[in-house]
Amino acid sequence: MPIQEQGKIIRNAELQDSYRKLELYAPGICAETKAGQFVHMQISGLRDRILRRPFSISDVNKDGVLTIIYKVVGAGTEVLSTQEEGSTCSLLGPLGTPFSLPGKDEIPVIVAGGYGAAATYLLAKRAESKGVMLLGARSEKDLILTKEFSDIPFELRTATEDGSTGDKCLVTDLLETIIREKSAKKLRFYGCGPHGMLMAMGKILIENGLDGELSLDHLMCCGVGACFACVVKVKADNEDGWRYARTCKEGPVFNASSIYYE
Amino acid sequence: MIDISVDLGKFKLKNPVMTASGTFGYGKEYADFFPLEKLGAIVVKGICEKPSHGNPTPRIAEVTSGMLNAIGLQGPGVEKFLHDEDYMPFLKKVNTAVIVNIWGKTVEEYERVAKRLDEEKEGITALEINISCPNIKEGGIAFGTDLKLASRVVSGVRKATTLPLITKLSPNVSSIPDFAKAVRDAGTDVISLINTIPGMAIDIETRKPKIANIRGGLSGPAIKPIALRMVYEAAGAVDIPVIGMGGITTAEDAIEFFLAGASAIAVGTAIFADPFAPLNIIDGIKKYMKRKSYSCLMDFIGKVNIDKK
Ligand SMILES: Cc1cc2nc3c(=O)[nH]c(=O)nc-3n(C[C@H](O)[C@H](O)[C@H](O)COP(=O)(O)OP(=O)(O)OC[C@H]3O[C@@H](n4cnc5c(N)ncnc54)[C@H](O)[C@@H]3O)c2cc1C
Ligand SMILES: Cc1cc2nc3c(=O)[nH]c(=O)nc-3n(C[C@H](O)[C@H](O)[C@H](O)COP(=O)(O)O)c2cc1C
Ligand code: FES
Repeated sequence: MPIQEQGKIIRNAELQDSYRKLELYAPGICAETKAGQFVHMQISGLRDRILRRPFSISDVNKDGVLTIIYKVVGAGTEVLSTQEEGSTCSLLGPLGTPFSLPGKDEIPVIVAGGYGAAATYLLAKRAESKGVMLLGARSEKDLILTKEFSDIPFELRTATEDGSTGDKCLVTDLLETIIREKSAKKLRFYGCGPHGMLMAMGKILIENGLDGELSLDHLMCCGVGACFACVVKVKADNEDGWRYARTCKEGPVFNASSIYYE
Repeated sequence: MIDISVDLGKFKLKNPVMTASGTFGYGKEYADFFPLEKLGAIVVKGICEKPSHGNPTPRIAEVTSGMLNAIGLQGPGVEKFLHDEDYMPFLKKVNTAVIVNIWGKTVEEYERVAKRLDEEKEGITALEINISCPNIKEGGIAFGTDLKLASRVVSGVRKATTLPLITKLSPNVSSIPDFAKAVRDAGTDVISLINTIPGMAIDIETRKPKIANIRGGLSGPAIKPIALRMVYEAAGAVDIPVIGMGGITTAEDAIEFFLAGASAIAVGTAIFADPFAPLNIIDGIKKYMKRKSYSCLMDFIGKVNIDKK
């Protein structure tokens, strides 16, 4: 059940480039968190802005520490990056429909781009069988949590658009390779990253007669399913063949087969 | 003893703080956070005849001290609303007033929706007629900005139901008193205002409007002074009760609306930042009354101190 909790900042430090790692003491939310869920954060000190900001829960531990990995992109994340140890911010969470964990006999294959790596870390950690992480970004500096995934241990394969590290290709090309290589095995696919990447991933899975769970992100307002700001098209049994589903409530995790591709 | 119950003519509320339509879903979405019984009333998202998709995305944009929205009234339609577990069946179990906000693309659709709700009115306290949504294009008629059409909608709905009627006015008119009088004469029991004010925002990098629909309704603290002025004008023009809303975030904001003449208030956009805002406002009103030694809301409703020359 989601709650409202004052998260106390324990650490707020640079991870790499414009990515930062935020650790908050929020035991109530930690206890309830499932992989793939998010918190809706009111950034203290953000003036004249009224909305909360959604962030994936990257990790939680039994001491009540919740980890978020965030990229500084605008006014809110800029102010967040200046918040010091000991200060607090209001959190709503855990919110959203989580990933379902892979079974013992299934190999999880995670495809992630950008902060999508953060959103799938807890999934990888909690998976009983260790799997493969396909991580993509524009260049090396945007590949985050590579060591953390390797340490789980997950087999890590990387792709960058500029070829600064890993294969010079799109992360979805790595996905196609894996599907060919491991076709005899029982695979479970998960994805989180930019919209274009996820749509491409969904189509590849469907073309190969497979399914997977994709975590979509969208502009959010209430974060709890009340305002209909955050909708995406999903297949529906009506004359149009689709309906708008709320990413914050029915998602952020959707089955690739349920998404309506335009 | 402080009494914060409020009499709105045909119905009473245990306290004067309601949720604004469209900002609190159908109640259930917030039930995990606090007991909904604490609210004076739950006003649900606008209901029309058939399920509707609403507008394309992006549907919202954050702006200075407020937000723009063009949700476009996505909703389940009246039949699903009456019978699906997530909507009316859930709300019937909540011990507080339930107000159903309705809209239509034609006068006849408003009447049909009102009639269906009237036929299964158990658990419904009142209807709020939304003649003021800026985000629906179809029909091309703005009911809320045309005196004759506004009256026709209200009198049509009046004939379709015996439920108490609240009419929600548009701020897009030059004379609020004219509209307040027109809908009163057409049979509304209560007036509520304001709905959002049409606005726009542009992303200067992509040069695209930040809202797919180009225009979106402005809400939040940015509109509060306009809303307060309009509530003052409406309350001065008619004797029926007025429900005030528009940017209310704190108890102080709410008290300003009472002083301007509102008998009850609704909290909207503030809920997105803080789901507990309505409850904090109720507490703050009680504290103010205690401090001022007021025993009931009538002690200060409409009592703005204006020197008459
Ligand atoms: C379910 C979900 C999980 C997310 N997880 C993470 C995460 O783990 N790490 C991370 O760095 N970011 C994450 N994001 C994106 C993050 O919410 C935005 O980067 C952040 O809101 C930007 O705020 P700002 O004030 O800095 O940017 P501004 O551009 O100033 O924000 C203006 C408005 O746009 C919204 N907005 C801007 N960018 C986005 C975006 N990409 N997605 C949604 N809303 C946006 C803001 O919330 C705000 O309402 C997630 C988004 C969603 C929906
Ligand atoms: C996201 C959103 C959706 C809304 N949907 C409706 C609606 O369905 N029907 C309606 O009458 N008003 C709707 N409104 C208007 C609000 O009920 C309210 O009149 C307005 O937002 C001003 O109050 P506020 O500043 O406290 O939000 C909506 C407002 C917002 C922000
Ligand atoms: S953000 Fe309000 S419904 Fe999803």
